[in-house]
Amino acid sequence: MAKVEIKVNGVKQSRNVEDRTLLANFLRDELGLTGTHIGCDTSQCGCCTVHVNGRAVKSCSVLAVQVNGADVLTIEGLAKGSKLHPVQQAFSECHGLQCGFCTPGMIMATVGMLKDTPNPSEEEIIHGLEGNLCRCTGYINIVKAVKQSAKMLRGKKPAKAAKKAAPKKKAKAAKKAKKSKKAKKAAKK
Amino acid sequence: MSPFQYTDFPELANVDTHTAHHGNRLEDLRLVTGTGKYTADWNLPGQLYACFVRSDRAHAEIVSVDVSGARQHPGVARVYTGEDALRAGYDKFFVIVNWPGRGGEHMKKPARPSLAVGKVRHVGDAVAMVIADSPVAAQDAAELVTVEYRDLPAVVTVEEAMAEGAPQLHDDAPGNLSFDFEGGSEDAVKAALANAAHVTRARLEITRVAPSPLELRASNVEYDAQADVYHVYTCIQGINMLRKQLSFATDVPEEKIIVHAQDVGGSFGQRSAAYPEHCMQMLAARELGKPVKWVSTRAEGFMTDTHGRANTVTGELALDRDGKFLGLRIDWLADMGAYLSATGSASHTRNPNACMTGVYRIPALYGRFRLIFTNTVPVAAYRGAGRPDIAYVIERLVSQAAAELKLDPAELRRRNFLPPEAFPYKTPTGSTYENADMPAILEKALGLADWKGFPKRRAQSEKQGKLRGIGIATVIENTGAGLFPKDQVAIECGADGTVTAYTVAHSSGQGHETTFAMVIAGALGIPIEKVRVREGIHDKGLIGNHTGGSRSLVGAGSVCKLAAQKLIEQGRSRAAEELDVEPSQVEYSHGAFHTRGSKKHVRLADLAKNGPFATMTEASVGSTFPNGCHIAEVEIDPETGTTRIAAYNTVDDAGNVINHSVVEGQVHGAVMQGAGQIFCEKVVYDQDTGQLMTGSFMDYCMPRAGMLPDIHIVDHPLPSGNNALGAKGVGEAGCTASLPALANAMMDALRPLGIQHLDMPFTPATVWGAIRAARKN
Ligand code: FES
Ligand code: FES
Repeated sequence: MAKVEIKVNGVKQSRNVEDRTLLANFLRDELGLTGTHIGCDTSQCGCCTVHVNGRAVKSCSVLAVQVNGADVLTIEGLAKGSKLHPVQQAFSECHGLQCGFCTPGMIMATVGMLKDTPNPSEEEIIHGLEGNLCRCTGYINIVKAVKQSAKMLRGKKPAKAAKKAAPKKKAKAAKKAKKSKKAKKAAKK
Repeated sequence: MSPFQYTDFPELANVDTHTAHHGNRLEDLRLVTGTGKYTADWNLPGQLYACFVRSDRAHAEIVSVDVSGARQHPGVARVYTGEDALRAGYDKFFVIVNWPGRGGEHMKKPARPSLAVGKVRHVGDAVAMVIADSPVAAQDAAELVTVEYRDLPAVVTVEEAMAEGAPQLHDDAPGNLSFDFEGGSEDAVKAALANAAHVTRARLEITRVAPSPLELRASNVEYDAQADVYHVYTCIQGINMLRKQLSFATDVPEEKIIVHAQDVGGSFGQRSAAYPEHCMQMLAARELGKPVKWVSTRAEGFMTDTHGRANTVTGELALDRDGKFLGLRIDWLADMGAYLSATGSASHTRNPNACMTGVYRIPALYGRFRLIFTNTVPVAAYRGAGRPDIAYVIERLVSQAAAELKLDPAELRRRNFLPPEAFPYKTPTGSTYENADMPAILEKALGLADWKGFPKRRAQSEKQGKLRGIGIATVIENTGAGLFPKDQVAIECGADGTVTAYTVAHSSGQGHETTFAMVIAGALGIPIEKVRVREGIHDKGLIGNHTGGSRSLVGAGSVCKLAAQKLIEQGRSRAAEELDVEPSQVEYSHGAFHTRGSKKHVRLADLAKNGPFATMTEASVGSTFPNGCHIAEVEIDPETGTTRIAAYNTVDDAGNVINHSVVEGQVHGAVMQGAGQIFCEKVVYDQDTGQLMTGSFMDYCMPRAGMLPDIHIVDHPLPSGNNALGAKGVGEAGCTASLPALANAMMDALRPLGIQHLDMPFTPATVWGAIRAARKN
């Protein structure tokens, strides 16, 4: 047995687990975070992708003890309060998911990809998704969703989303932005 | 249900303005936030865990099974073997086929115990089941089970299995033949072939593939001793279909089996079957008094989840001097694997027979379909279930005939199409096609694909040392009539004005929650955010079919519309009482009843103030006939044998379309599954030992991002009169058309080199080898 202490979605978690426990199983079975899916036994499908210290990682290919002390982000922690992450929003808007089983992994992989490559070409997107399988969408709308999220993350709101933003919501968003600045400052201190 | 509400997420809360053209499905919110609930996510208090001991050989007698070591392992509750399955009487599985075959012979349906007894028949056949208090304890203990085998020779292809002296899988299926079925007229085709000016022949492999939905197969079974009821949580295509099969396999009455599911991670036909694991979990849950959970590994999935296709077909097409079709003979060998699945046998007899004439007028048709046992994983329906297979055979023959006669493949099709005025058309094999306008569809597709500009594009490719080909497929298919005679939908309005519809068809990605809600919102004239669609709800006791055969919108979806209309009609008489007028004076619009000239009104919600205002309705819809034309263009690098899909165009008649983004998504996914099968997917067994060589995603080639470019999709809807929506269905059409369209494009690129025949999958190695061999000649 080994003691594992990880910060998951901002919350410190500590558990005693068998040495052989994979991070994917730790998240699902110990913490009940079942949004991280398991789709294979050979690190091929990418359904289990999470972020460990800001990097996209297949959680089925690391032991929980290996990430002791790390900061882990799962799909459940991606939305900020009542605001979806732009990648989550783009997948839904572009119909980039059908059964949704690959989706958490796809989204976490995309967030990771866009950190390194904020303005990816079609080839870079295809290369970036190589480690993630989807059996439903033919990937066509997933590639579209990655392109759209990249645009959104670079600050270019797609026309549709911009139109929707009602004045009230804008005000809310502005408040939130202020808050998050404050939060960042606090973090620096 | 997701803990999140749409109002929590303003970005997705625009559901009241949901239009037919953008994504944002109602189910998306929980799925993009990781709060969906798939089978492995269900945990029941006190649950135990199952792990199966599986055969590591293809064909062998079981000499002994020693479970003593496993029994003593800490945490183990019990170990089950084949004897337990027999003791419980679990030795049979439901098979759809109940009609006679050639010469009135009935199908051979050999026993299949839920755990192997006496013999194992494929790698992965379950021999024992270990139940323990944790998944790892069950797995560790399973490794302590020792099985002594006496190896038998194995057969993994239909040719071998049919050969004289071949190893026999089942005592009661001599020659490894399960069923011999025929359709059409043998004599008429004989005459047509004898009188033909030209006969085109081909022997085609339609490879065995692994459907591989990404959610691993899983189930969690709880037995409620007090009520004597089993609760089965599992991945399904519909609760009733599974319940019927489980009841058949276990002799537990249907009403004592309650199937639960919420989100299902893809199905593609693979989830239509009941599996031995379900039955053994039912037994253990009852005997141990605790829920029993099992989650497959992907390796187990490859060796136990039903496979698809696996047909070897010889086709002969007779033509007259003018290129008119005279007759078609089909000799179809279907590999059933080691045991019969519920759907595989119907998929590979009835379905191809129903569409054997394709979209053409062919006066003489004859098909013989033989279902053969081999030492491989059982074959079941896979997206299209025999329809892509028959379309592949017909369309390859037609394009090959055009090449042999030096005719334009589009022109040869034009000459033989069933003209629009021929519908409804009774085919020589007994189907009645409702309607189709193939000439118009073909012209639309030719325009979309810039058919005329192809020689120029080919010349450009040639300049770069590449081979370019273009392929057409014009196809039709029968959607599933379903196992149950009708589809029922219950609908109710609550006091808050929310309308909830209940169906037993189950989505595994098709987006019923959104599309059906659009249907209901449209019929009631209320915002879609006021509508909820609930699937897999057992307590309404609804009769209805599972999702499969492209039938959900046609069946359950159209009944949603009828249910909404019935809600209005019943509401009208109740509103009339409240408004104190005759029902005929009551008008309905946008969720409220009112009378002309009076301001008084009664809302739907008002009728629910003393409890939900509810009704139920049903319809029998039968089959529809979606059809279409796909044109694919490929570019091959002869130096490496690699192929790029340069363009893909579709013109589909799916009847009336409700949700365009969902329909496009279905086309994308199905065309990709077709492309996967044409270019890379193949389940491979070792010829000598029967070992499964493609047992993981490392060996089995799944299509990845970028394999398919964006598809140009155009609708050509000819509404169906078969159902209230005028829908025809679309889930499988993409597979049906893409297999032949892509293969024809490949052959078009390769024929100029003198390559006359090549089977799928067109892997770089196969293509490169064929090009090299052709160049040597
Ligand atoms: S479960 Fe981790 S890659 Fe498949
Ligand atoms: S949406 Fe089903 S696997 Fe990707």
